[in-house]
Amino acid sequence: MGTIGQDIRYGVRMLVKHRLTTLVCVAALALGIGVNAAMFSVAEAFLLHPVPFENSDRIVALVDSRPSQGIDTNSVSPVTYLEWKAQAHSFDKMGAYVWDTINLTGDREAEKAQAFAISPNFFDLLGVHPLMGRTFLPEEDQVGKDQVIVLSYGLWERRYASDPLILGKKIKVDGKTLEIVGVMRKGFDYPKPAEAWVPLSFNAKQRTIRDSRYLWVLAHLKPQVSVQQATAEMRTIAVQQAEAYPDAYKGWTLRVLTIPNFATDSLTRQFTFLLLGAVGFVLLIACADVANVQFARVTGRHKELAVRTAMGASRSRIIRQLLTESVLLSLAGAVLGLLLAMWWVYLIVSHMPPEVAKFIAGWNTIRLDANAFLFTLAIAISSGIVSGIAPSWLHSETNISETLKESGRGASTGPSRHRLRSVLVIAEIALALILLVGAGLLVKGFRALIVVHENFRPATVLTLNLDLPEMQYKEKPGRTAFYAQVLQRLAALPHVQSAGLATYVPYAGGGGTGVSPFTIEGRAPEERGETPSTIVETISPDYFRLMNIGLRGGRELSDSDGDATPPVAVISQNVAKRYFSGGNPLGKKLKIGKADADSPWLTIVGIVDDVHYTWVDKQEYPTIYRSYRQAPPFYTSLVLRTNGDPLTSVSAVRSAVGEVDPDLPLFDVLPFDRVITNSIVGIAYVAAMMTILGLIALVLASVGIYGVMSYSVGERTHEIGVRMAMGATSNDVQRLILRNGLFLTIVGMAIGLPMALGIAYALSSILFGVRVADPFAFVALPLLLAAVATVACYLPARRAVRMDPLTALRYE
Amino acid sequence: MSDTATLIKMEGVKKVFLTDEVETHALEEIHLEIKKGQYISIAGPSGCGKSTLLSILGLLDSPSDGTYMLNGQPVGKLTISERTRIRNREIGFIFQAFNLIGDLTVYENVELPLTYRGTSSAERKQKVQNALERVGMAHRLRHYPSQLSGGQQQRVAVARALVGDPLILMADEPTGNLDSKNGEAVMELLRDLHRNGATVCMVTHDQRYANFAERTIHLFDGRIVEETKEAGVSV
Repeated sequence: MGTIGQDIRYGVRMLVKHRLTTLVCVAALALGIGVNAAMFSVAEAFLLHPVPFENSDRIVALVDSRPSQGIDTNSVSPVTYLEWKAQAHSFDKMGAYVWDTINLTGDREAEKAQAFAISPNFFDLLGVHPLMGRTFLPEEDQVGKDQVIVLSYGLWERRYASDPLILGKKIKVDGKTLEIVGVMRKGFDYPKPAEAWVPLSFNAKQRTIRDSRYLWVLAHLKPQVSVQQATAEMRTIAVQQAEAYPDAYKGWTLRVLTIPNFATDSLTRQFTFLLLGAVGFVLLIACADVANVQFARVTGRHKELAVRTAMGASRSRIIRQLLTESVLLSLAGAVLGLLLAMWWVYLIVSHMPPEVAKFIAGWNTIRLDANAFLFTLAIAISSGIVSGIAPSWLHSETNISETLKESGRGASTGPSRHRLRSVLVIAEIALALILLVGAGLLVKGFRALIVVHENFRPATVLTLNLDLPEMQYKEKPGRTAFYAQVLQRLAALPHVQSAGLATYVPYAGGGGTGVSPFTIEGRAPEERGETPSTIVETISPDYFRLMNIGLRGGRELSDSDGDATPPVAVISQNVAKRYFSGGNPLGKKLKIGKADADSPWLTIVGIVDDVHYTWVDKQEYPTIYRSYRQAPPFYTSLVLRTNGDPLTSVSAVRSAVGEVDPDLPLFDVLPFDRVITNSIVGIAYVAAMMTILGLIALVLASVGIYGVMSYSVGERTHEIGVRMAMGATSNDVQRLILRNGLFLTIVGMAIGLPMALGIAYALSSILFGVRVADPFAFVALPLLLAAVATVACYLPARRAVRMDPLTALRYE
Repeated sequence: MSDTATLIKMEGVKKVFLTDEVETHALEEIHLEIKKGQYISIAGPSGCGKSTLLSILGLLDSPSDGTYMLNGQPVGKLTISERTRIRNREIGFIFQAFNLIGDLTVYENVELPLTYRGTSSAERKQKVQNALERVGMAHRLRHYPSQLSGGQQQRVAVARALVGDPLILMADEPTGNLDSKNGEAVMELLRDLHRNGATVCMVTHDQRYANFAERTIHLFDGRIVEETKEAGVSV
């Protein structure tokens, strides 16, 4: 221990002595370690503990998937769940939940809350207990006994002022009276973003539904049963179900997911891994930089190392001494890196809009915790070893008897050292290019997402959602009348140019739209399980003009398309091209659902522009528009085109809707541009982070190439002196240095470009607007890197040509 | 082992350097015996191979051929780590350029061989103090080499060579970087050490200092061409 203490003391002394190089190394490592620590915190939250309960490793989600349509996680039907529950032996508990927005009315201002209808054993399955009261009783899953509710801590605190006597009180929910039986502990909001839970009950009809999938199923593994064993059993059950009911299960495959895999969607996981890879690259570049500095520094100490060796220091001891210094360097970088990471985590967390953050599993747990600290320590030590091992190893081979002579130069400039330093620079250039191209593509993709919505002129559009209670608005005429009155009042408001409604506003709610199968009249039935699907939008006639969605044929919907007139539909161009190619779809008929569905045939009266609904989709999805007067929805979004800032109209809009139904809460009241940015905030984060990482990589790589070229000039001083004495001009010397540096740059880029192309293919497959052959990414950015590298080579070259040949000749 | 026991015995030692496919024969057929307590000098013109011979004697380098016995043990073909261990425990070095580490204090420089030996801190402290007192530098413990004169630096280097109680002191042109006054002082110091029982092997090209030794080995073109004893008696 004493000798390690000596190594540390001496290491600190050396770092302090060489302040400038120490600062450069610490800064490089701080950037590399800092982004890794910050990204680890994000990845830990998303991938390791995205749920607010402890025993998630024994809980699995049982989901359907439909690989042929790219659906990897889907809910299941009630009867599927009930059969699983009855037949599976791998689990000691199985439960289910359904998304359920509720309107809280009566005692206070009407408010919409995010609730979940859950099976009574749900909390027990998760192993969580209420802060107050109880959870649900087994019998409360029966219709009639389900008039109870459990509140989240947040809702209890916000709406009910943390009333300690809340238990047993009755509240009005969607027109029904429910008794509050429990309050959950602070921070528990699963399934995210739960504010309340009500019992999940099935009526007799629901218990027979097999092809309507809306239930999410979780199950707790029995002791000694592995996920693999449970998966095998569940697949057997699923195969039996598919054989018995092929219509309902054709194309669907059961998947058993661990909770972290279930809670964090695959795109989030992919982008998290992308960023983890990117920060790893940045750290490698930083390590290569530091390794190059260490090479130079250790070379300057070859005599000291030879003396130590002569005094009896073994090779391992010399390596330990040098590694101690390089680990000290990286630990100093880690301290600064942790401060940077704290700042970055703060930036990441604080810039996420709360209305988006509440939906992201694990977001609340993003922080630099003890695990992040340990991770930082581990990568700091690893970085120290990685950046120090090669210089230490090679310099421990110094020819000591030669070095110890009065004029001995040792073996500090062996070709292996040159080669390794060149390899490090080449690797830096290659990694930096990959990061730059990745960043460039993501920024282009992000810009494409912004541009695609400019046609909506979203800055002057206000959007808000409402959900009509089923009990109160059970009948279609009631809903139609409500909407007609509301739209009329809204359109008459000052500053409002027009008002409309749509069931799905593009990019709202994270872009989730839901799709339905549809059937075209006269077409042979599609192969079982292969029915075409579409987004079904129910809109008001003004919607197309309000959103600048162009009419491409036929007519728009009109107020005269009502209950008493033939049902009509407008289709998107995508539907026309995909399903009516070579013919005119106008006048043709289609219906929502399969051929035997109990829904009306709709006559196609118009064709409109395609609309991009979600950033995840590479292409616009087929859309069929219906009139709200013919199919009034319960849940809808109101959209208003205003004269200026849409938020100035909010209170007037609330009053206007309140005049029609004072108990109806409006929620997610947001300008449309905010809806769009909220929807793409995830990709904005990724693009911003990649841009920052790309720039850091560019700077670090240029520091690396500058360091190597600068060192090379120092090493070749004598040679340069000889060349100048022999008549070499300044240009000759400059060319000599530049050629060497640019050769390394070109080799690095030649290696990096194919790898960047691989990244481009991967990104283009998951992100709208990303093209593989992007000139910005593959021409402009490599040129930028080459230009920066040229400057980094030019500065040492300029120093070389300014040398006095006589001094250079005397240089040893 | 008696005082006259053989400490070093070389038979037919050769050293060939291979650089860029050129063979350079630095040493040829060296036969040499040094007894414990002897003070010998190796003399010769520049490039004759005396430093190479000292490097091999000091286990800083290994012979290309021949046998080398140190304290009765063959050491010519040892591994690097074995050579390192013996060098640390049995050989003390004094260099022309002092080769003190500039970033270590006098105390830390002298302590260095003991550090690599794993000596305890208390024992190190005592030995360093003793060694520095022997060379008259105990009052400069906290100084850095740059704060000392050349003569003082070489005294510290001698203390470093002594501190581990080595079997033999190897001095490579120990006065080469000193003025005559300081050079004399260092030579007197080595003579005192020899008188107190130390075995000393010194490389020098200066005949005045070679005469401090009991025996002088004369090298020319890598071969021993003459050996003289005290008062210039050729053997």
